[in-house]
Amino acid sequence: MLNKRMKKIGSGILLAGFTLTTLAACGNASETNNSAAGASGTDEGASGEVVEIDIFQFKVEFKDQFEALAKQYEAENENVKINIETVGGGSDYGAALKSKFSSGNEPDIYNIGGPEDVTMWVDNLTDLSDTEAANQALEGTLTGATKDGKVLGLPYNIEGYGVVYNKAIFEEAGIDATTIKTLTDLEAAAETLDSKKEELGLDAPFALAAKELWITGLHSGNAFLNAEFDNDVMKAFDSKTVEFKYGEQFQKYIDISNKYSVQPANSLDYSQQIEQLFSNGKVAMTQQGNWVYPTIASVNPELAENIGLLPIPIDGVTEGTIPVGVPMYWGVNPNGSEAEVQASKDFLDYLYTTEEGKRIVLEDFKFVPAYKGYDTEKISDPLSKDVYTYYTEGNTTGWVFMGYPAGWGEQTLGAEIQKYVAGEATWAEVEEVAKAKWAEERE
Amino acid sequence: MTHQKKTWFYLFSAPVIIALFIVVVIPFFYGIYYSFTDWNGVSEAALVGFSNYSKLLKDQEFWTSIWFTTKFAFVAIFLINAIGLGLALLVTNKFKGANLLRTIFFMPNLIGGLILGFIWQFIFINAFSAIGDVLNSTGLKTWLSTPETGFWAMVIVMCWQMSGYVMVIYISYLQSVDDALLEASDLDGASAFQKFWHVKFPLIMPGFTVSLFMTLSNSFKLYDQNLSLTNGGPYKSTQMVAMNIYNTAFLENKMGYAQSKAVIFFLCVAIISLTQVYLTKRKEVEA
Repeated sequence: MLNKRMKKIGSGILLAGFTLTTLAACGNASETNNSAAGASGTDEGASGEVVEIDIFQFKVEFKDQFEALAKQYEAENENVKINIETVGGGSDYGAALKSKFSSGNEPDIYNIGGPEDVTMWVDNLTDLSDTEAANQALEGTLTGATKDGKVLGLPYNIEGYGVVYNKAIFEEAGIDATTIKTLTDLEAAAETLDSKKEELGLDAPFALAAKELWITGLHSGNAFLNAEFDNDVMKAFDSKTVEFKYGEQFQKYIDISNKYSVQPANSLDYSQQIEQLFSNGKVAMTQQGNWVYPTIASVNPELAENIGLLPIPIDGVTEGTIPVGVPMYWGVNPNGSEAEVQASKDFLDYLYTTEEGKRIVLEDFKFVPAYKGYDTEKISDPLSKDVYTYYTEGNTTGWVFMGYPAGWGEQTLGAEIQKYVAGEATWAEVEEVAKAKWAEERE
Repeated sequence: MTHQKKTWFYLFSAPVIIALFIVVVIPFFYGIYYSFTDWNGVSEAALVGFSNYSKLLKDQEFWTSIWFTTKFAFVAIFLINAIGLGLALLVTNKFKGANLLRTIFFMPNLIGGLILGFIWQFIFINAFSAIGDVLNSTGLKTWLSTPETGFWAMVIVMCWQMSGYVMVIYISYLQSVDDALLEASDLDGASAFQKFWHVKFPLIMPGFTVSLFMTLSNSFKLYDQNLSLTNGGPYKSTQMVAMNIYNTAFLENKMGYAQSKAVIFFLCVAIISLTQVYLTKRKEVEA
């Protein structure tokens, strides 16, 4: 008896669940239809008709400012309507973009990360060589999105990372940060800090966030693989093998980071690293990029003004340098109508090459611009300033991690580094596994 | 069934059947097709025969995650059902506050898995290490940074979330046990344990079928708590199958290969859960 009743209740719940899903599906479908109708209405491209640009973008941090810019652009160009959708987080964005394309709800402007993405999306990318922004792009910033002589992506901005340090603590410990150029210098600084950590109020000198595979696998790894690939992301992308030519120094860097880190390093994540430890002066340095400034400023505005970037060097090869690169590119979808493609290009040109656009990029977005003709005095936060200084002085290396095989940096190298940090693998094993996986992926 | 009844039957079940086809059955067959291709999610898929499956056999990481998931599922299923049944027995006793306790025990289930994972991550890392500082124990400070603590952390969170839910199932079965039978056993002089073991237990057997099936499939398919609690770390030692498949598909862009893993995973779960339902069904008795 009861069994039967339960079954009935169970099927009732199932029914309710399925009805909900169908309803939700219907909702989506009708939305798609609407936008499709809107798009086909502009197919004629006749003047006066409204062109809709759908932008699907990745950078959550500047969502509000970006939407404000779109409003402004709409006000200035009456026949353009801009719809912005933002989905953050690396893999989630890629997954969402794929489902957008396979559902036929294709955006006009979207983001691609580097050569791997370019290869994958090549049939859905327009040649942007004729845009003003492409002409104005700083040297080298287009390489990662160029294929067969075509510029398929325009850089967002440039970003750089290194060892972020707390100037006040360094001063108190009597360390002159400007003299730190090599790994040996870095180690000496860590040692000094460690010996005085009680007086300085530190938990430890360093925070190695080994839980975040991108920090170790993508970023740390990149600093030591750069030289092997001549700082050229395309060389890494085309390479069948990886050698770890400077593996010994890479090991040394991880050793220093781990030895002087808050423990256990394998459970330190980004939020602990930046919000809890660094922003509260519990550690004096940690490996991160200029994108962490807003987060630090939101936790501790005072401390945030007094920080800087130290190099991640290979002794004797890339001393005194930090890796600088383009995190993301704007791609334009050629499958839309001519009017939409043109409007998308115009919008990107407006953003990066007009006076008003430049002002917004610098002051509202707080980007380090990847284009010429900016008043770089206006770069406001200390980390971005440091990145720009390294850049103009030529003390930068590349971002070859954009050319790693998909997933290799995090899932292989990052995970193997965790093993090494936990003492479960020797450095030789780390390199061996990583080399084998790279070769396998590039077969 | 009369003609009219039949019409109503199909009319009412049509939405479910259509929905089931659209969101489950058709994608399922699509999935099997894609498991024979090299699809990367964007470009055209090309058929590659059984090469995904032969590659799968040598994929150490995938089998490690299957083994980890199986271990996790067995421990979790046992503990969740033991705790759930224990709680159900507790709150079906008549005492003050029994109803309140029911609500409290059920509450963790109302929190989404992701949030739950992040809350517990905070507890394991910050609260545990703070207690560790006081007690001077290093064991409490390394939670989530070793494979063992990662495993047990996930078991704890899973139990915390699911026990209340299976408790509700057991309660409904316990309450439906005929009072006359219990009275009769009282008259025969049965002890509390004997009453439980010989009267209640066989009668709530259908409850086991339901609860075991639910906990089994939930434990095998777990993804959200895995993601928020350990994200597979350290060094992928706590990576469950669902996460392994997701990462293959979306981080390595190998949709076809990931799909072949999903097919194998489906077969494993289907075999295990059907066996379980068959075995427990046999033990059910009619009152």
